[in-house]
Amino acid sequence: MTAPDVVAPEEGALSSALTIADAQTALRDGTLTATGLLREAYATADAVDETLGIYLSRFDETAQAAAAAIDAAFAAGEDPGLLAGIPLGIKDIISTTEGETTAQSLVLDRAWGAGVGDAVVVSRLRAAGAVITGKLTTMEYATGVPDPTKPFPIPRNPWNTDYWTGGSSSGTGNGVAAGAILGGLGTDTGGSIRIPSAFCGITGLKATFGRVPKSGCVPLGYSLDNIGPMARSARDCAIMLNALAGYDASDACAVEVPTEDYLAGLDGDLSGLTIGLDRLLGKAPNRDPAVDAALDAVVDVLTGLGATVVEVELPLWQELNAATRITSRSEAFAYHAPDLRSRWGDYFSATRTGVGAAIAFTGADYVQAQRVRRVGQKAVAALFETVDLIITPTSSVAGWKIDELDSMADRFGSMHTGYWNALGNPALALPMGFSGQPRAGGLPLSLQIIGRPFTESLVLRAGDAYQRVTDWHLLTPAAADRSETAVVAS
Amino acid sequence: MHSIEEQFEKQLDQALESNGLTPLPEDRAALLKAFTTGREQAALVFSVAEARYEEPDLIFSASLS
Repeated sequence: MTAPDVVAPEEGALSSALTIADAQTALRDGTLTATGLLREAYATADAVDETLGIYLSRFDETAQAAAAAIDAAFAAGEDPGLLAGIPLGIKDIISTTEGETTAQSLVLDRAWGAGVGDAVVVSRLRAAGAVITGKLTTMEYATGVPDPTKPFPIPRNPWNTDYWTGGSSSGTGNGVAAGAILGGLGTDTGGSIRIPSAFCGITGLKATFGRVPKSGCVPLGYSLDNIGPMARSARDCAIMLNALAGYDASDACAVEVPTEDYLAGLDGDLSGLTIGLDRLLGKAPNRDPAVDAALDAVVDVLTGLGATVVEVELPLWQELNAATRITSRSEAFAYHAPDLRSRWGDYFSATRTGVGAAIAFTGADYVQAQRVRRVGQKAVAALFETVDLIITPTSSVAGWKIDELDSMADRFGSMHTGYWNALGNPALALPMGFSGQPRAGGLPLSLQIIGRPFTESLVLRAGDAYQRVTDWHLLTPAAADRSETAVVAS
Repeated sequence: MHSIEEQFEKQLDQALESNGLTPLPEDRAALLKAFTTGREQAALVFSVAEARYEEPDLIFSASLS
């Protein structure tokens, strides 16, 4: 495939086609400096943020100091870490030392984040040398949809600003796509890393539940929440996961399973792998026909890389999606009930009605949902005895117009992510094509690659192999050109 | 005899009261719709026969490792 309008990386300048891997090399061979990279990243944000709604707050001063320290270390012949000098943003439900953590809400007590400081994941990124640029837009408390009556930015899709980014890691999605950051952290309770990755045309990983500590993050669903990397490529996600993964006792759900070097297996070879494909036909209320054509092309690519692709049917599809909804709503309500009683109107409309509707569930419903998750884990483990990986579309649609959003309840069935939160398996979303013409109103389509628990290496290997022979992930929206008039609106 | 819709409306009102919630009038339709969907989802998870003798994993990650 030849990609139209690809913006090639230029020496010393941030193009949104620049990957973390590219920048790592350029920083080490001296063709790029951390301060220069940060300056370009912020310049891009300056040009597009008012339109796209990427940042809630920026850390210009501390980021510049961090970048200067990285440059000084490189100049002294030191290697200051895996992510040294890489500008990364943080979804604003994850606590940082600088700035407020708001969860994009009027309700969250700002003292909470001030008391936490850096979340474990933020500390790990900093220890690897990352330059933390600021806090990125989300949906309120990582759920629901934008509410134009509340005083927060409405994130827009850089491929077509009439459309939503998807949520809830919205600013990480459109920030990476527009080139305002090279990567960032999202969170995923029912798809909030994978959906904005899909809609914005980038790559995002929900690792196995418990693989990445989630302490220091405002909870949504205690048994479903994941923090994970969002970036341009699977390789970039592997780089970030090398910094993020690993047990920490501060998270009661963290799992003490040894980590791996997630870059080590990225060899482009899928020989001998059997990949199960579930197209999820008939499983969504809406389906863009371009999804099926894109999946056919994916099968051709994976077969060409040496894999055998077989059709499979995921068990208990509706039941496990229901289990995710019951669990996430109930766990969120436990957290929000006191504030919903006293500050109902301060919440976004979709948040208060969505989380508030957890009153439909009984304690027995919640426990039964957990039992169904166990049944589902066993059934999917049996399926994984016959295949090494599973692929599905991440979503059956390419996106929704912002002015047509009402509540996520109506949209949930077209997104194929929540099933895997019920189970805990690692799942990678990556671009696989477009619905419509890129830069002419068209929107990205996304493939989801799922593995057995704790097989992030294999999932990333498959994603990287696919991206070695395709360039959907390197396409950039016109917003990345940094022209004030370049943002596409149909 | 009440219709299903009326029964759900009554259940919603009881649940709101018992949970101490006082939603805005404009939220009523969305709440009722979400409540109704919620009851359908609850019925769906109870339809899984294999779960009859399954034990839940209440520290979810325990079953993954």
